[in-house]
Amino acid sequence: MVKLVLASPIAVATQGQREINVEFEGTLGQLFDVLTNAYGPQFRQRIFDGSGSLKRFVNVYINGEDARYLQGLETVVARDATIDLLPAIAGG
Amino acid sequence: MGYVRGLRCRECGSEYPPVRLTVCEQCFGPLEVSYELAAVRESFRRDALSSRPRDLWRYRELLPVFDGSAEDGLRPGFTPLRRGRNLEEALGLREIWIKDDTVNPTYSFKDRPVAVAVAKAREWGLTAIGCASTGNLAAATAAAAAKARLPCYVFAPAALEATKLLLPRLYGATLVPVDGTYDDANRVALLAADARGWGFVNINLRPYYAEGSKTLLYETWEQLGFDLPDVIVTPLGSGLLLTSIDKAIRELRELGEIDGETARLVGTQPQGCAPIVRGFESPDGRPRPVKKPDTIVESLAIGDPASGTEAVQIMRRTRGFADAPTDAEILEGLELLARTEGVFSEPAGGTTVATLKRARADGRIDRDERVVLLITGNGLKAPGVWADRYPEITPVPPTSAAVDAFLGGTRHG
Repeated sequence: MVKLVLASPIAVATQGQREINVEFEGTLGQLFDVLTNAYGPQFRQRIFDGSGSLKRFVNVYINGEDARYLQGLETVVARDATIDLLPAIAGG
Repeated sequence: MGYVRGLRCRECGSEYPPVRLTVCEQCFGPLEVSYELAAVRESFRRDALSSRPRDLWRYRELLPVFDGSAEDGLRPGFTPLRRGRNLEEALGLREIWIKDDTVNPTYSFKDRPVAVAVAKAREWGLTAIGCASTGNLAAATAAAAAKARLPCYVFAPAALEATKLLLPRLYGATLVPVDGTYDDANRVALLAADARGWGFVNINLRPYYAEGSKTLLYETWEQLGFDLPDVIVTPLGSGLLLTSIDKAIRELRELGEIDGETARLVGTQPQGCAPIVRGFESPDGRPRPVKKPDTIVESLAIGDPASGTEAVQIMRRTRGFADAPTDAEILEGLELLARTEGVFSEPAGGTTVATLKRARADGRIDRDERVVLLITGNGLKAPGVWADRYPEITPVPPTSAAVDAFLGGTRHG
């Protein structure tokens, strides 16, 4: 079971749902396709920019590792992975 | 309601009432506080400022705090602006000023944004506050929490300098020493605060927190006789200090308090963690995240800076630049500042001095420009960086003969 945790500002994309468990195997990009099916096209509009990349204000972590340091949307998500979707706010 | 109009997204322009929002609900971009500047203009007058308290609440019309009891806090700010005549001579510049924020209540500029964020936390009745920190913010948040009688939770890399880990604990905060980088600490702090409803000053109180840093600019402007310098050199961690300085200048301009050229804003990061500088140097202007920062400048070791893109845009717009000196140049800069001006800064200040020196040498800063250096933290917080340059001392026996031998036979005075 893949566990998604969305920080509350990002959870506007999932109608307020902050924790989502889903049976899934595949890449991060495919996982977002599954979520788009579940939460509608507005999920994709919220998370992605016009060019099909993740918005620069959304950080995605796979088991604590920033997806940008992995293979981005091509990163393979393990069946028991934890995915965090957080607003990009680091540093003071 | 004071003079606040609301919150505005810096990215898409969406507007909100001045409530507790972390980021824009439309695009997740950063929010900033907007003011009713026509009303501000009525009471924000130069002659009135001079009789006000010598702390950051002096500029209260341009701070988003409605509750007067905020002024019961630690009252940071109104730090000295020191003329650096010896440094001018050493570097061959006509006019250097040092904005000395080493003397704030917890010895860094972070007391300023924290004062505003904690005031908001009190207004909203939050039950606990905290932060993710590279060190300076940890102490500032913990001390302000102690004064406000709020529980405090500080997330910081466990490998920080000992002093930076001691201070928050001493002020009574719970320290969460994260086995990882600052970005790791920030990530778990965000999740912890979000799950518990705590107010983390640089995370979910960020739009208000950022406002406190503007006072560095207001003070500089007032202390220069209500004038801007030609160049401001500022360290870059997340980039938020630079964006706040820029916002302060924009507000003064909209108030009609300044006209003519704006100050050139120059940002500096250590070479071992320079995501914003690399973004400045690239055509797309996008910061290049650094997974494992490698620098002695812990306070700037933020690999994924939140305000980096905006900082790049501002440096370009103001005809400033970005620069990344080496750790060795940074230590030399710290020594130069201490030995010419008697100001002992933590490594971030050495970064600004080193950049000034480099930019003077290659012409990016002209000798006739009036320069302000933002010195944002006290050197006593990071003594560990000196271990190699200042090896252990050997005691001198308390006799005249031993002292003469120690001094090599030279008579002084």
